[in-house]
Amino acid sequence: MSCTLGEVKNRADFIIYWGGNPAECHPRHFTRYTLTPKGKFIPRGRKDRTMVLVDIRETMSAKAADIFLQVRPGKDFEMLSILRALVKGQRVSPEGVAETGLKLEQLQDLVNRMKAAKFGVLFFGMGLSMTRGKHMNSAAALTLAAELNAFTKFVAMPMRGHGNVTGADVIMRYTTSFPFGIHMGRGYPRFNPGEYSTIDLLVRGDNDATLVLGADPGATMPKPAIEHLKRTPTIVLDPKVTHTSRLSRVHITTAATGITAPGTVYRMDEIPLPLSPPLKSPYPTDEEVMRRIREAVQRKEPWYPVKSDAPQMV
Amino acid sequence: MLTLTLKELTTVPLEAEALCPDMLAGLSLEAIRALPVLLGKRSLRLDDFFSIEGEGGEDIEIRGDLVKVKWIGRGMTRGRIRVVGNAGMHLGAYMKGGSIEVTGNATDWVGGEMSGGSIHIAGNAGGQLGCAYRGSMSGMSGGTILVEGSAGIELGMRMKRGLIAVRGPVRDFAGLQMKGGTIVLMSGAELRTGAWMIRGTIISMKPLRLLPTFSHACDYNPMFLGVYSKHLAKLGFSIPHDVHDGTYRRYTGDAAVPGKGELLVWQPR
Repeated sequence: MSCTLGEVKNRADFIIYWGGNPAECHPRHFTRYTLTPKGKFIPRGRKDRTMVLVDIRETMSAKAADIFLQVRPGKDFEMLSILRALVKGQRVSPEGVAETGLKLEQLQDLVNRMKAAKFGVLFFGMGLSMTRGKHMNSAAALTLAAELNAFTKFVAMPMRGHGNVTGADVIMRYTTSFPFGIHMGRGYPRFNPGEYSTIDLLVRGDNDATLVLGADPGATMPKPAIEHLKRTPTIVLDPKVTHTSRLSRVHITTAATGITAPGTVYRMDEIPLPLSPPLKSPYPTDEEVMRRIREAVQRKEPWYPVKSDAPQMV
Repeated sequence: MLTLTLKELTTVPLEAEALCPDMLAGLSLEAIRALPVLLGKRSLRLDDFFSIEGEGGEDIEIRGDLVKVKWIGRGMTRGRIRVVGNAGMHLGAYMKGGSIEVTGNATDWVGGEMSGGSIHIAGNAGGQLGCAYRGSMSGMSGGTILVEGSAGIELGMRMKRGLIAVRGPVRDFAGLQMKGGTIVLMSGAELRTGAWMIRGTIISMKPLRLLPTFSHACDYNPMFLGVYSKHLAKLGFSIPHDVHDGTYRRYTGDAAVPGKGELLVWQPR
């Protein structure tokens, strides 16, 4: 369940940030969409909105929050499960709640506020999706928001970073029906995060070449993945020299999107925004490089099919 | 018996669902050698990777380090596969009958969505044992998976029926979103056991760190365990059930769903 940031601005009267620090990492988020702006159904702006921050430490964003809930590190999944139980009116033991570093009254109050909201939004960040439990933490946040729709309008949205990741997800989704972790080896898309997702492939060393486009895995990925990038041919397309280009076989300098190259970028709420570059670049765009690689690959001989009378698999 | 020996370990995973008794039974050796396997996107012959001896039948032995060989015994309904060495991903996925035995370790997705038959792993197994595939509502719906070593995360995710027994330690999210069936943990599990479970039984011989959404129901010695322990003993897993030895502490949950699953944790006297 999701919506656009325009809807958040015009309608959302209850906002939760979970495991993120928007004051420092998304500095314009508060003022443009979620807190201060006056919206069509939020005539008084900040006064009409309630903001809750859930994080493991008191960050800069806590100053902007009406309620700050400090959860113990690694207890997000437990806290979300408790909230799901409380939303349904289930009993939860106070000792179990104490494990999360919070009190039952605090969580019950949060649930009451969530249910009473006219339009609630749950933004979750890397503090939730990249800690122990990973995809299940995100799944818990998304399920909680989905279940709250039995009482009121509630949406969940991940806080994205690093340029155009949303764009990559959106394009993959409408071309293959899956957002990431896709295997095309059989001529049709197969989806299995954990098996085909980038980090897992690299850590196990299942691929024999890598093309890096608009990312810097050499700076962020675990050591075995970086070692594999070094061992096998890696090609990087980037406007500047990155950690990954230092360990790659080939680095192709491309024009910087939005500055010297046109294109479309997807905002975190999946709204496409066209870019008109103010400057010119001597370098080709990412798109042009990819098109030329594709043309060269298409000129090559195709893989030979097996000549066999044996029964084919179903 | 048909014996296949892996010639060398490939870099890229080999997708070999041809390694299945249903496929191999009744084929001549020449036809077996020509069966297609996929290396990346290249379709190649089975004898490019395996030296093949014996005759086609329902009894297959595969030798070598098969960590990169995926889909062994996919959808098998009969016969026997013995892997002498390690096995790769999706071992026995969708299997309906027959048996698979691994002398070494196995990796992720062992017995994914299986509905019958048995898998025995002498070493360690990876994550997602007897799991539902992505987007699927139910995982394993029958059969038995026995692991002598440890197992990874999300053991028996969304399983509906069947039995998983693990002698070694198990990692996070064992019995995640479980809908039925039985999981036996001889050495306990790490965090979040039985998260979001709806029904089903998880039996642990060691204390568990429970989610706050599980609540203590009672201490007792369930009748069915007396019968079930006989079945488990035949499979080489003996669990105590006598009232003189101790009791089982029963926890119900997961209240987040809300579900009626049960966690039975052994309390020795």
